[in-house]
Amino acid sequence: MMSSLWVSKTGLSAQDTALHTISNNLANVSTVGFKRDRAVFNDLLYQIQQQPGGQSSQDTTLPSGLQLGTGVRVAGTQKMFSEGSLQTTEAPLDLAIDGRGFFQIITPDGNTAYTRDGQFHLDQDGQLVNSQGYALEPSITVPADADSVTIGADGIVSAMTRGSATATQLGTIELVSFVNPAGLQAAGNNLFWETPSSGSPQSGTPGQDGLGMVLQGMLENSNVSVVEELVNMVSVQRAYEMNSRVVSTSDQMLQYLTQNL
Amino acid sequence: MDRLLYIAMTGAAHIDRAQTVHANNLANLGTSGFRADLAQARAVQVNGDGYETRVFALAEQPASDFRQGPLMETGRDLDVAVSGQGFFAVQLPDGSEAYTRAGEFVVDALGTLRNGAGYAVLGDGGPISLPPYERLQIGGDGSITIQPEGQGEQALVQIDRLRLVKPEQGEVAKGPDGLFRPIDDVALASSAEVAVVAGFVESSNVNAIHEMTAILELSRQFELEVRLMKAAEQNDEAAQELVSVN
Repeated sequence: MMSSLWVSKTGLSAQDTALHTISNNLANVSTVGFKRDRAVFNDLLYQIQQQPGGQSSQDTTLPSGLQLGTGVRVAGTQKMFSEGSLQTTEAPLDLAIDGRGFFQIITPDGNTAYTRDGQFHLDQDGQLVNSQGYALEPSITVPADADSVTIGADGIVSAMTRGSATATQLGTIELVSFVNPAGLQAAGNNLFWETPSSGSPQSGTPGQDGLGMVLQGMLENSNVSVVEELVNMVSVQRAYEMNSRVVSTSDQMLQYLTQNL
Repeated sequence: MDRLLYIAMTGAAHIDRAQTVHANNLANLGTSGFRADLAQARAVQVNGDGYETRVFALAEQPASDFRQGPLMETGRDLDVAVSGQGFFAVQLPDGSEAYTRAGEFVVDALGTLRNGAGYAVLGDGGPISLPPYERLQIGGDGSITIQPEGQGEQALVQIDRLRLVKPEQGEVAKGPDGLFRPIDDVALASSAEVAVVAGFVESSNVNAIHEMTAILELSRQFELEVRLMKAAEQNDEAAQELVSVN
């Protein structure tokens, strides 16, 4: 059967995947700490039908051969770790990282996940937890009689209690960085897992060793650019249409052949 | 009768192959750095007494289109596009060198700079290894400057320079994996004339309008070939009627 049918089929499925990442990016346009994905395409293998330089007769060689491409595949998706815009919320437990770094979250199965979503809350024990209720690592507990909580740019958490003139230090928020953050595995719920390609986490104090500063009362918005995604969507849609046109043209050619011979 | 039928058949078979080349170009409309393949047909005469009137069609893929694709702004540090002629050099798993225009680079866990397909990107001194950095900048000549982790703005270090080559027309050809290789197997010398821009990705240089037109034109040509085959059949029938005894 006509190979152009299968080649355009790979084009259709690749554009479909691209549209999937675009729609996921757009769906997460207001998810705090979300990092957009980008689909990366590679051309598939080429089949050599005639080797260039092959013998066309005893004394002559073919000046050029025939290599037929077999289509396209999605090599992978890349997370784009550019920083999203910062939004002021004034909530004392909203934290944003200005620069590189991730918060560490202990999941219920005891593993450590990483996130840039800094919407923290207190649980019934006064412990700092994320919106799923998973505890921040290192664990910080705010006493019940605390009036106000202050988190410094270097991650030091302190509380003022009634009747005391000095602030009590409750602990320090540590950040971690990765050699290749794009290699982290997105786990949903704004969390990321460490993978062999991300490298191991290097923990440190916010504002030092290249880590960003922690900003209290602010949140990092999603880094999705709506205009860019819409432009990408237009080009994906047209590419999809053209590939499907090739399918219908090949179909018509086969139909003509079967009807007339 | 056989001449007409078989010659029309090679024409149809050639159109099928040329159609595949164009379908592949359209499938790679969104593949960054992709170079469109060209397709052409050549007339091949059959040699020998009495055969000279037979000229078959032979499909060929003479070269790739080396025109510049549009540059798309991404703002990512590790996205680099070649502006004008030239290629990035990557190292294949067997140690040999190949050339590509796709510049969506990533850093792996060991700090090695790799391209989207996972091959190590070559610098002037082999594969490029980046120490942990806070900021990275790739200059117009491919030089890579970083601000090492935990150091100030003044501590910029030049790590390496991307190996850029500028092959002459016909010096490189596309291999079966879509990467370009020197035709005579001799690695090309680095060129100082190649300019790159960071923060951009060069998209595929496939001209969608041209490909669509070519596909429609080929499909009409195919119908013509089928008509010729039909005519051959009708000629044959007419001849049979003439000599039939009834």
